Parts: sequence; structure tokens; C-alpha cells
Amino acid sequence: MTAAARSPHPRRARPERGEQWAETSRCRVVAARRFGAFTALELLAPEIAAVAWPGQFVMVKVPGSGFLLRRPFSVFTARGDRLGLLIEARGPGSERLADAQVGEALDLAGPLGAGFPLEGVRTALLVGGGIGCAPLQILTDALAGRGVPVMAAFGFRDGRQARVAAAFDIERLWVATEDGSVGRRGMVSDLLAALDAPPSATVFCCGPAAMIAAVQRWAAGAGLRGYASLEAHMACGVGACHGCVVATKRGALRVCSEGPVFALDEVVIP
Amino acid sequence: MNPAAVDLRVRLGRLELEHPLVDASGTFDLVETARRSRGDYVAAFPYAAYVPKTVTLDAREGGPPPRVTETPCGMINAIGLENPGVAAFLEGLSTIVGLRRPVIVSVGGNATQEYADVVRRVETALGEGARRFPDVAGYELNVSCPNVPGGLAIGVDPQLTAEVTRAARAATGRLLLVKLTPNVTDVRPVARAAVEAGADGLSLVNTFRAMVLDRSSLRPFLGNSTGGLSGPAIKPIALRMVAEVAEALPGVPLVGMGGIMTGVDALEFIACGATAVAVGMANFTGLEAPRRILDGLRAECAARGFARVTDARGVALARGA
Repeated sequence: MTAAARSPHPRRARPERGEQWAETSRCRVVAARRFGAFTALELLAPEIAAVAWPGQFVMVKVPGSGFLLRRPFSVFTARGDRLGLLIEARGPGSERLADAQVGEALDLAGPLGAGFPLEGVRTALLVGGGIGCAPLQILTDALAGRGVPVMAAFGFRDGRQARVAAAFDIERLWVATEDGSVGRRGMVSDLLAALDAPPSATVFCCGPAAMIAAVQRWAAGAGLRGYASLEAHMACGVGACHGCVVATKRGALRVCSEGPVFALDEVVIP
Repeated sequence: MNPAAVDLRVRLGRLELEHPLVDASGTFDLVETARRSRGDYVAAFPYAAYVPKTVTLDAREGGPPPRVTETPCGMINAIGLENPGVAAFLEGLSTIVGLRRPVIVSVGGNATQEYADVVRRVETALGEGARRFPDVAGYELNVSCPNVPGGLAIGVDPQLTAEVTRAARAATGRLLLVKLTPNVTDVRPVARAAVEAGADGLSLVNTFRAMVLDRSSLRPFLGNSTGGLSGPAIKPIALRMVAEVAEALPGVPLVGMGGIMTGVDALEFIACGATAVAVGMANFTGLEAPRRILDGLRAECAARGFARVTDARGVALARGA
């Protein structure tokens, strides 16, 4: 059964870049695996997992009374009735979520945002930096399902951060670390030239602004087109507050609503 | 008392509301939410009136990112009145004709005349009948945005506030609210000036000018450097200001706001003299927030024996309101 057939929205045509649901669902944590600074959470979320599209995100309520705004997280995996999220402890909110225990229930809204367009992709080059690698697993799964060959390059600060690479199931994966402790020493952009991507490859990248800018330059030089998924501080996650805008060639656009996925060459990195 | 039996209807000036809750401007977008909703969210809109994001005459890009972050018991924002301008706003409004609630259009501007120009543009579109619109019942003049150059210039000045109000009053016969800033020593002179110039009611408070630093660089976190603080952190100050205005201007309908997250928060604003209350930051905690706060308000009224929500109005005040 396709996701569209399972969708409770028969009145709407299935959007090419993913259905969006603002309603909150309560989802139980069924697995929590630690990878250095990251936690891979698996939640029982059949409705969200059924429609989640690569590049989409969910807004997660942080348990406890000290947190008000929900935190956005990319969908890491959506397999069967399980939704995977990759959490990096960066502040008090993500620290609490990274510490989530099996059996605990979390409030999630989603999936949200416009995901990666997959139509017409012949071969894919995935580029991730740090926590920006998260959406590239569900993307790999979706591309594999379409028979699209995938190669991926991930960049991390150091060996501790690079431990998260073990959470991924990508056959052709290259890793770079800034301190050289794992894989090639240097930035992920240094890996790209060595990968020898075919001219028909579509680039999919997600990571810090400096990495996106480096990938933009490299892709322009190599004549490749692609997409970038951006992150931003968000309040609502549903297009209301205009808190998460980024500069693009089309003007300031909302990451939550017009994104998080944008054409690689339209993103303007300050 | 049975919570279901509590009468939540209120009268905001000439406007009958099914219950006291509205959304605070800029915190809820009905068009965007309807796009992401499983049911017909426009028809099921939980607030008693819809207050969209502030609209100005021409499109505005807003301020530089980052624009929002959480703060202890609240949040700070510096959006900078980003909006597509009144023409595109009306286009969007015409897509939610299924809304069964009144719309209160939030109007912004720089010059005093710009507010009236926006009101006139809306009135003209409503009068033409070329497009269908939901029931536009009135306007809320946002003279209190702290995040645009000169945004507070009008709202801190009783005379300029009166000028803006008078010009808008001349442009419409519909409900006219003025949204006050808390960034003043005394909110009452501005409140009085707005009412004397023709406002039917007052909304208060907008956000407090504030600053958050990036902890590693110790530089201002927001792209705009300063922003507006909202959420539960400001509730006690907002309650004090609503009570002050309610006591100074008895009989003037007030829309109270500032950190309402629960039913009892809403009831507290009503006890301080508010007729209606606006929910802001709570909208960012989940789509279920308005329904939860409304159910809470009903239960809190019942628990205290208020058969009508209006029975609670002003009970915190020295002489009632």
C-alpha cells in the first residue's frame, strides 16, 4: 500500500514534496541508541512514519515544565510504523530529548515542511555535515526504493562526533573529520572532488552554513545541480511566525514553510 | 457547577464573541494551518475571532535572522513586521471565506496616515464585492511593534497615538482597537488618548523590548540586536497594566494578553478587567493550545461558581470594572 493510499486526506492531491500535518501526536520511544554526542531515537509513530517524506521535519515538545517552544528535528528514518530522529545535545532542550528513555512518550507535530524533490533523480550525491546528516538516511532509503544509486560524504568535527556514522545504513559512505581522527582529514567539501561524481548526479546537502556555501561553490564548478536543506531557529514550525527566514535569491523565505529544502543555487549564505 | 453550563459569551464593543479567546497577532496563520490540517480547520477555527499577522500598506521584508529564540519562561522575537502588503493580504483573506468567525485586521505602519490608508484599502476591497471575504469585523492598530525603526514612536506618544486612531476612525465604522505597548512609564495616558480619539477598545500588552546574548560570543543573539519579550515571563507585568487601564478607563473593552498558557491565566486577565484575551506564545506549543485553554477557562469558571465568564470580569480590581 502506498503512503498516499493510507493518507486520511482523500480530498487533497498528494503533494510532490510531502504531506504536512500540524496536529500533535503522542509517540512512544521504543529505542534510544547513543552515538557519541548524538542519540538516535526510534518512536512508534505510524501515522507520521507513513507519510514522512525525505527532508521533512517534526516539531518535538521537550518534556518538563522548563521548556515552551518545540524543537524542530529532521526525519532520520521512517520505516514501517517507526519514526527515527537523530538528536544532538546542543542546549538544555536538545539535551533533555537526547536523554529520552525507552517507554517515554513524546509529543510530535509533523511531518512538516517541503522535502527533497525526487522526480527525475538518476544518481545522487549526498553531503552532510554534523547533525545535518540526519535527513540523508531517509533520503537514501527513498532513493534506494526508486533504484537510484547513492554515494554520500559526511563531515564531522572529530572522532567523537563521527561515531554517529555508525547509525547510518549507506553502502557507499565516505567520512572526513577536521582533526583527521576518522576518515580523511579536512572538511567534507575536500572529499567531494575525490568522489568523481557523474555529471548526471543530483547533489543533496544539509549542514552548517559554511558547508552549504562550500558545496554550492563546488557544485557550480562541477556543473551539478541540487538541493540544500537548511536549519533555523523556529518558534511555530507551521509558517505563522516568520521567525525562521533565510536569505534566498527569491527573497527571505521561511525554512519551516517554503523549506527546509531549497534549490542549492538559490540559497544566499551571508 | 457543570463546566459545560458556563456561559462564555462576551461583548467586545459592538462585537459579539462566542467566548473570550482570540489569537494574538503574528502567532497564528489560518491559511498556513489549514494547509497542514487533517480536517477543515477554517470551519473548525477554535478562536472566537481571527487576528492575522500585522499588515502594512506595502510588502516588508522584515529583519535579519536569527529572529526568535526561547528565553527563561518565554521567548524573544524580532520579526520586523514581515508581511506581503495589503493587496496580497486581501488575496489570502479571500481564501478563507469558510471562516465562521469575525476577522480583526491588525494594521501597521510608519507614518500616522499609513494606518488609515491600509484601513481604506481593506474597506474598498470589502465594498467592491468583486471577491468574497470572511466577516471583517474590525481593526487592531499595532502602534507598538518594538522591532522596526520608529515602530514604538507612535505607541509611546499619546498625541501621535490619538492622531493615528483619529485617521483610522475616519476611514471605518467597524470595531477599532488600538494595541498598546508596555514600553512606557505609564500606559494610561496613551490608553486614554486612543479612546478619546475614537478607539472602541484597547489591546494590551505588546512585547517588552529586551535583549538576549549568544553565550559563546557574548554578542546580541538576534539579527536585530534587540527584540520583543513575550510568554509567561511577562504575565505579571501585563496583568498589572491591564488592571491599571481597566481602573482608569472603566467601561472600555480591553483585550488582555501576555503569556496566557492556561485557562486560569486567561481568567486572571479577565479578573483584571479584560473582556477578551489573546493567546500568543501558547500557539507555538501546539495546535491543541486554544482548545485546551478554552476548556481550562470553562472549568476554572465553574470551579469558582462563575455561571458567566463576565461575572469574573474585574474582580481583582479595587472598584470592579
